[in-house]
Amino acid sequence: MGYGDVQMIDEKGNRVDGRKAGDLRPIEIELGVVPVADGSASVRWGTNYVIASIYGPMEAHPRKIQRQERAVLDVRYNMAPFSTTDRFRPGFNRRSREISKVTAEALESVVLLELYPRSKIRIEIEVICAEAGTRCVGLTAASLALADAGIPMTDMVVSVASGKINDVVVCDLNKEEDNYGEADLPMGILPNSGELVFLQMDGDLSPEQFQEAWDYNMDAATKIHLMMKEAIANKYGGES
Amino acid sequence: MGQPLVPELLRTHLAELAARDERADGRGQWDGRDLSVEVGVLERAEGSAKVQMGDTIVFTGIKFQIQTPYPDRPDEGGLMTSVELRPLAGRHIEPGPPSPESIEMARVVDRGIRESGCIDTKNLCIIAGEKVWQVIIDCFAISDDGNLFDAFALAAIAALHNATLPGERFDIGEDRPLPVNKTPIMCSFQKVGGRFIYDANREEELGGDERIHITLGGDDHVHSLQKGLKGAFTASEFAEIMDAAKQRCAELKKIVDSL
Repeated sequence: MGYGDVQMIDEKGNRVDGRKAGDLRPIEIELGVVPVADGSASVRWGTNYVIASIYGPMEAHPRKIQRQERAVLDVRYNMAPFSTTDRFRPGFNRRSREISKVTAEALESVVLLELYPRSKIRIEIEVICAEAGTRCVGLTAASLALADAGIPMTDMVVSVASGKINDVVVCDLNKEEDNYGEADLPMGILPNSGELVFLQMDGDLSPEQFQEAWDYNMDAATKIHLMMKEAIANKYGGES
Repeated sequence: MGQPLVPELLRTHLAELAARDERADGRGQWDGRDLSVEVGVLERAEGSAKVQMGDTIVFTGIKFQIQTPYPDRPDEGGLMTSVELRPLAGRHIEPGPPSPESIEMARVVDRGIRESGCIDTKNLCIIAGEKVWQVIIDCFAISDDGNLFDAFALAAIAALHNATLPGERFDIGEDRPLPVNKTPIMCSFQKVGGRFIYDANREEELGGDERIHITLGGDDHVHSLQKGLKGAFTASEFAEIMDAAKQRCAELKKIVDSL
């Protein structure tokens, strides 16, 4: 079966899992899930389950990665062997390397790196259960873990993707929609400024569809940001 | 894992505690930390368990693959155990290919399960000489505060008891529970401050000497032993920890069998 051959949305606009076009999957956030880490968070998002932990700031080694004027972020995104239907074989992986790189660059745009010259902050992202959109869940979890570690940031990063199924633009693709979908637009959004620090896209979107997907992501980011603030307030107090 | 610097202060402190029959976190010599075991926690695995012992947290997932049997055992399936110590689980864990420590853990966990005979590999035959199931036990650390060996072994046997052979997905009949007919349990001991203790935490591991891992099956039959790290122990020390292991393994077996 090819793109668009599978009916993923009915005439009433109901998706396979009963959501409407603009709806998100259920999201659950927990902080401090890795007791030995300096900060950590888990995000359950649909059947995605991602854990992120933070170590540092610590001395940057090997020395060649040190920067005199700022900290460096050492980000690893990885999928656990039991996170996918067919076992995911551990080891070097080009996809994981790319996601780690763009995730690091997104987070470097918000962390106040200048406060920690010559040091490094380790950010470990592990996908325990994968559905669709793990890079977005990973980036969101990493930003929560940084907050849990008390690392100063100019803003949180909220990451979410919208896409297209059966020529209809929908928010937050699930596994089936991602497999047979026609486009995917993941973004990393700073909820307070509305700026973007992460952007990828693949597939086929008309200018109107692109705008629609963009707007869905912006709206979703506002909703997810509220859940993030609530999770932080639940652990540390203050207003969400 | 890099070789950590062990401050003499920590070793002295642990030795002073041991001389008073105490431990840093208030436990007795043979006491374990608070334990929780949950099964069926990973949606993409055919069997799974989460074990928490104090601040040590691990997941184990069971996956199945179809493979060609070995020519000398045409009607037997396969079993593989892998341990992933990702840097997520502690600042002392470095990224990279599997460390000798993680390979040792995987092999010790594997031996306890394999040698207990809890999985009859003949039950994993699909077509003799052509197709058999391979059971893969993936152990994954979330938080390492010591004694990953016992956490992995406990999560592994709990996950196996929870596993389903995914016949439908591979187009070879119906899904059925994986037959597991025994409950091997590992207990690990480490010499800290000159005496053996059960369930060392990370601090005790850092300031301790040799460790001994014992896997017992039904009727206290021994299925695997492993001595690790530098240090020597006597026959009477071994007899003492064997007694402690028998008692603790029976308690843990009850927990796993009641899940």
